[in-house]
Amino acid sequence: MDLDSPSLSSSGLESRADRREFLKRLAVLAGSSALIAELPWWSPLRVAPVAEAAADRVRLGLVGVGTRGNLHISHLLNTPGVEIAALCDDYDPHLQAGLARVKGAKGFSDFRRMLEMPDLDGVLIATPLHQHARMCLDAFSADKHVFCEKSLAYTIEECQAIADAHRGSKRVFQIGHQRMFSPAFLQALELVRNGAIGQITQIRAYWHRNGNWRNPVPDPSLERRLNWRLYREYSCGLMTELASHHMQVANWFLGAHPVACTGYGSINYWKDGREVYDNVNLIYRYANGTHAIYDSLISNKFYGMEVQVMGPKGTIEAEAGRLYAETPPPAPGIVQLINSLEHGFFDTVPIGGPSWVPDLKRDAKGTAITHEKSTDDGTAISLAAFANAIRLGVPIEGMMEQACRSGVSVLMGQAAMEQQREIAWPEGFRI
Amino acid sequence: MEIPVPRPSEPAKVFHHSCFAMNTRFSLVLVGLEAEQARALAQTAERHLLACERLMSRFDAVSPVSDLNRRAADEKVTPPDALWEILTLCQGYWRQTRGAFDITLWPLTRCWREHLQRAEEPTDETIQRTLLQTGFHRLYLDEAARTVRFQSKGMSIDLGGFGKGYALESVAVQLRAAGVERAFLSFGESSITVLGSHPHGPAWPVGVGNLFSPQDAVHTFQLRDASLSTSGTAPFNAAGGPRAFGQIIDPRSGRPIEGYRTMSVASPGGMEAEVLSTALLITPAEQRAELLSDFSAVSGVEIVYDSNAGEFVPRIEWKYGS
Repeated sequence: MDLDSPSLSSSGLESRADRREFLKRLAVLAGSSALIAELPWWSPLRVAPVAEAAADRVRLGLVGVGTRGNLHISHLLNTPGVEIAALCDDYDPHLQAGLARVKGAKGFSDFRRMLEMPDLDGVLIATPLHQHARMCLDAFSADKHVFCEKSLAYTIEECQAIADAHRGSKRVFQIGHQRMFSPAFLQALELVRNGAIGQITQIRAYWHRNGNWRNPVPDPSLERRLNWRLYREYSCGLMTELASHHMQVANWFLGAHPVACTGYGSINYWKDGREVYDNVNLIYRYANGTHAIYDSLISNKFYGMEVQVMGPKGTIEAEAGRLYAETPPPAPGIVQLINSLEHGFFDTVPIGGPSWVPDLKRDAKGTAITHEKSTDDGTAISLAAFANAIRLGVPIEGMMEQACRSGVSVLMGQAAMEQQREIAWPEGFRI
Repeated sequence: MEIPVPRPSEPAKVFHHSCFAMNTRFSLVLVGLEAEQARALAQTAERHLLACERLMSRFDAVSPVSDLNRRAADEKVTPPDALWEILTLCQGYWRQTRGAFDITLWPLTRCWREHLQRAEEPTDETIQRTLLQTGFHRLYLDEAARTVRFQSKGMSIDLGGFGKGYALESVAVQLRAAGVERAFLSFGESSITVLGSHPHGPAWPVGVGNLFSPQDAVHTFQLRDASLSTSGTAPFNAAGGPRAFGQIIDPRSGRPIEGYRTMSVASPGGMEAEVLSTALLITPAEQRAELLSDFSAVSGVEIVYDSNAGEFVPRIEWKYGS
């Protein structure tokens, strides 16, 4: 029940035929990227989507039919070769609403009963954070493929237990960090690796909203259950539900996990009985001396959300998909002049022409970096990758590493704020 | 001139730096200097350009120019010394060009831009009314008190092109003072200043690019310790239409130049090149020689683009000097 998703109609890919065409284009993109070795989770997408034959269909069960779960249903209904065979939720109104959307799906209130269902290939876990680990471990025990929503788990020990349980398994594991499947982020990474901004010297990310982050509850007795992310017993609030996305990006782009973290958090505005911070401010240190600075608050939305990857040659704003060069590229005439000077030639510099004006007047330096136009933030693609990986019977490489790095990073941040001291990466953590 | 000369025994040391300034791109190419010295000079130049921008920008709400535009119709304004100096220079050029160069035309520019965006032309009445908000004769510089006063509401100065010439000329002065003998400076590609000559020739050959095919030079200037400015390049309505209007406005008629036309002027000074490329474009051809009699070592070329079966073909319409 992740409530941070966009509205259900925002995928922009409304029909299965559209989705099929989109996935075909992606297969080409995935196959052509020079970075494919660094993005092993894209490799299932190199296989074009299958035909609709029943035998080819992947049968999935979804647990947690809240906002995020419903978004997954919308995507899965449009994903070629996928059947939603079962839905599970212990809150009956959500379960019934889900069953009304998915014709023929079996309903469960107990996750373990769903796991006993024959011919179920895999499960998607979109439940409150504190249930992730138990459900992942149960699903692995039942020999199912697993797609688990972010953040990975409620404690570092649980993250370790999931990684241990999956090690050596032939089952697919995937984490719901959709930026790993966003063409915009792929192109941003490509620019970074091609040296467009030089060495990464800092990453700055923020996620700002203005609202109480609450869901209406039909009865006060349901408050903690439906607003679980406001209570420490179930969630780490802004860290696990929002920051985990950007920490995944930071770790991915830096190719490392942070070695230490420090920061402060508090409840300074929404003093309504919630137990998780309404503002968090953190600094993560990486072994090579790079720092990631993260902050989030829900009492001001002016700056919105962004991941800024900075280097001596430029800045990439990955969410906006823009590159801001520190210096403009020289005009072709100047390039020609430099070339002729360096090679000892004497020829005309064709330059006295139209005055050069940047793309945008006020904010002169930005250029768009995204080529693949899509309103999907990567969620639709990530589900297609999950289904393809199951069909191929091959685990998605690198996925557990991404899940553990971001999952542990945000828990380090939570601990740093709660204990008001520097927290080191857990020694001996094994992915 | 495209004669390759033999490779020198040692390739020339070439340093290049480009940066954003004054709403466009500045490029500096230095030849024969040690990298460290070149870098330091480029840094100084960039700092100077940004200072010029802070002084003259219309887009920066706290610049002295914005302050002047906001207040000078209501009260006497004392601008900083640097801006005062620029305004007196502009007044001198306004007189010298018989009013053809005028920094007070912004209300007309804005009026035409807004109308053309709606695909219409302002009426004669609108133009006449807007003309009353323009004209350097309505900009009163009190020499004794060093104050500025606009004598009409709605007046607004725009130092866009002139500012670039001013900035280029002052950077050139700094480079010469530092002992630099060869350099190529470009501001948005429409304003060029060179120091000395190309290391393999008697001058820097700089081509005026075809508007529709920038790599092809329509005319080549041989520049030596000189500046080149091109005006009238980017039309208001670049998307096309039966009538193309240039960005340059005739202060007498209040109308922009029509058709695709450019004026390129080479001159010993950057400011002068900037002033003359604008002034000559709106001065009738038969009066240009007289205007230029006040200036020395100036050359100029006007290029007109004729529409021929959907293609624009450049033609040299007017030429002056070497």
